[in-house]
Amino acid sequence: MNFTETLKLALAAIWSHKLRSFLTLLGMIIGVTAFMVVLSLLQGFNTYVDEKIAGIGSNSFTVRRFSFEDFKNTDTIAEAQRRNKELTFEELEFIKERAQLVDKIGALALPNSAELKRGAVVMQDITISGTEPIIGDIENIDIAEGRFFSEAENNNSQRVAFIGAEVAQKLFPGGSAVGEEFTMRGIPYRVIGVQAVKGTVFGQSQDLFVKLPIKTYGANFGGLRNSRGIYFEATAKSPKLFKDAVEEVRTLMRIKRKLEFGEKDNFGILTPDAIAGLRDSILGPVFIVIIAVPGIALLVGAIVIMNIMLVAVTERTKEIGIRKSLGARQADILKQFLYESATLSAIGGTIGLILAKLLGIIISALLIPTTIPWYAAVIAIGVSAIVGILAGLFPAWKAARLDPIEALRAD
Amino acid sequence: MYKFMENENGKPQTADTFMPVAGESLISMRNIWKTYQMGVEELHALRGVSFDVKKGEYVAIIGPSGSGKSTLMNLIGCLDSPSKGEYWINGHQVAEMTDDELAKIRNKEIGFVFQTFNLLARATALHNVELPLIYAGMRAGERHDKAQAALASVELGDRVMHKPNELSGGQRQRVAIARALVNHPSILLADEPTGALDTKTSMEIMALFEKLHAEGNTIIVVTHEHDIAERAHRVISIRDGEIEKDERTK
Repeated sequence: MNFTETLKLALAAIWSHKLRSFLTLLGMIIGVTAFMVVLSLLQGFNTYVDEKIAGIGSNSFTVRRFSFEDFKNTDTIAEAQRRNKELTFEELEFIKERAQLVDKIGALALPNSAELKRGAVVMQDITISGTEPIIGDIENIDIAEGRFFSEAENNNSQRVAFIGAEVAQKLFPGGSAVGEEFTMRGIPYRVIGVQAVKGTVFGQSQDLFVKLPIKTYGANFGGLRNSRGIYFEATAKSPKLFKDAVEEVRTLMRIKRKLEFGEKDNFGILTPDAIAGLRDSILGPVFIVIIAVPGIALLVGAIVIMNIMLVAVTERTKEIGIRKSLGARQADILKQFLYESATLSAIGGTIGLILAKLLGIIISALLIPTTIPWYAAVIAIGVSAIVGILAGLFPAWKAARLDPIEALRAD
Repeated sequence: MYKFMENENGKPQTADTFMPVAGESLISMRNIWKTYQMGVEELHALRGVSFDVKKGEYVAIIGPSGSGKSTLMNLIGCLDSPSKGEYWINGHQVAEMTDDELAKIRNKEIGFVFQTFNLLARATALHNVELPLIYAGMRAGERHDKAQAALASVELGDRVMHKPNELSGGQRQRVAIARALVNHPSILLADEPTGALDTKTSMEIMALFEKLHAEGNTIIVVTHEHDIAERAHRVISIRDGEIEKDERTK
C-alpha cells in the first residue's frame, strides 16, 4: 500500500471521529501553542534586552565608566566609584586619532527626563539625551522626516531637537513638526527631524524621546557629569575585525589612563556578546523551566494519543481481521495505524502553530514584538508528527501482530 | 474400520513421496494435523486429513460443530498454518510460510466469502471491492474499473457508492462475492455463506454460486446445512478431525 493511499485512509479514520480526534489533540495543541509562544516571547525578550536595555545594535560596542563586573557587590561598586573616572572628550579624541580598526566612534550623554511644552500642550517625563551627530550613522537611526544634527549645530550648541514620533504627533497634531518650536525648562528648541515609529515594548512607547546635540544638552542641562556623564559608541571597520577593534579601543584607553600591566581596567566595554552572555547567565535557568512546561504538555499529549490509538486498535480489531484476510501484510496494518497517529498529531501541531501565531499577534500588540521563526514552525509540526509516530508505535505493532482468525472473530 | 478401508482405497496418508504435478490439482492436502496445546493436554482439531481439489470443482465441506471443519477452512484459506503435513495451493507449498507470505497467498489465491459478510462498514461497496486490489498494489484507475466490473457481474452495478448499511443482506453478500472474485483467485472459499440470510435470499446466493461454477470458478463451501451442501458436486464430510466421507454427488 503506497503513501497517499495510507494517508487517505488515516484522514478518513480521523474524520469519522471528529469530536474524539479534537479532544485527543487538545493536549498536543496546548503543548505546541505554549511551546511556540514561549519561544517567540524569548526571542522577543532577547531582542529587547539587546536593543533596548543595552541600547546598542549588534554591530556596535560601547565604552562606559563602569563595567558589568563592577556591579557584582557593594564592595566592587564602592571600589569602582573610587577608581573609575568619568570618560572625557579628550579620551574620545585620543582613540579617534589612533584607532586603526574603528570605523566610527562618537559620544553620547546619559539621559535625563524633562517636561515639554508647546502652547497649551504639556508632555511630562520625556527622555532627553544628548548625542554627537555621528551617532545617527552608528545607530542607523531611521528618519521619518527632516534630518539628524550637523557638526556645526553641535559645535555651536544650537537649540535644535530630533524627536520621537509620538512626541511629534502629540506636540504638533495634524501637521509637520519639522521647523516648529517647543520649549523645555523655558528654553525654546526647533525640531529638525522626526524618527520613524518604533512602537511599544512591555506597554512602553519607544517613541517618547527628545535627542539634542550633545553640547546643547551639556550647556542647558547642567554639564556632562554624573547622571549626564558621557559614554562612547563605536563600530568596527568590518564584522571580522569587531573583536580586534574592541581590544584596540581597550588598549588605547589603558594607555591614555596610564594603567600598568596587570592592573584592572578602570572603565567598562560592553559588547553585544557580553550582554547576551550576561542575559543568558541570569535568565538561562528561568528559560529552561519555561521551556520544560510545554515539554510536559507535549508528553501528556503523546500519552493521550497513544491511549486513543490503543482504543482504535481494539475498536477496529474486526477491520484488521478483514484486511488481513484480504491480503494485508503486517507492514500494511502497521503503516495504517502509524500514519493515523502521525497525521492526527501533525494536525494538532498545525492547529497549535496557528493558535500560537494568533497569540503572537496579540502579544506583539500588548507587550513586546514577537516573531515565530520559520524553523520553529517546521520543528513544531515535525516534532508533533514524530511524537505521533512514537505514541502510535506500540498500538500499531499490536494491531499488526493480531492473529487474523482471532481478529475476524471479534465483534 | 471404515476409515481404515478408505485409506486402502487409494488415499495415501503419508507425505513422504508426495509432489504435485503442475496443473493436476489446485489444492493438495497431505496428512494435515492441527494440534492445540490446552495446558498439559493436546487437542487434535485435525488428525491427518488428505484430499485434492482440481480446478473447476465445486466442493462442500460438511460437518457438525466441533468436527474440525472451521479449522480446516482456516487452513485452506491460509489464515493459519498446519502443525504437521503438507499443503499445496496452485503450486505453492504453504505449510511453512511466514505470516507475510501467507498474506500474499490470501491476496492472490483465495477469495473469502463469510457468513457475516465482513464488509468495512464505513466504506462504500466499491471501496470494499477494491481492498484486495489495493493490497495487490494496483493503480487507482485500473482498480476502480475492475471493482466496478466485479460489482456489475453480481448485478450491483447501480449500487457502487452505497455503504453496507444501505444494502440488504443479499446485496451485502453479493458485494462480498464481488470482492472475493475481483482479484481472480484460484478458489472461492465460502464459510456458511447463507447463514445470515433468509431462505429466498439464500437460494439466490446459491444460484449465483452455481453460475460462478459454470463460468469455471473453483468453489469450496464450508457448511453444516445439508441442503446447501447438496448444491455442490462433491461433498467432504468431517467428523472428529478426520474425513469421514468424500463422495462425488453430481
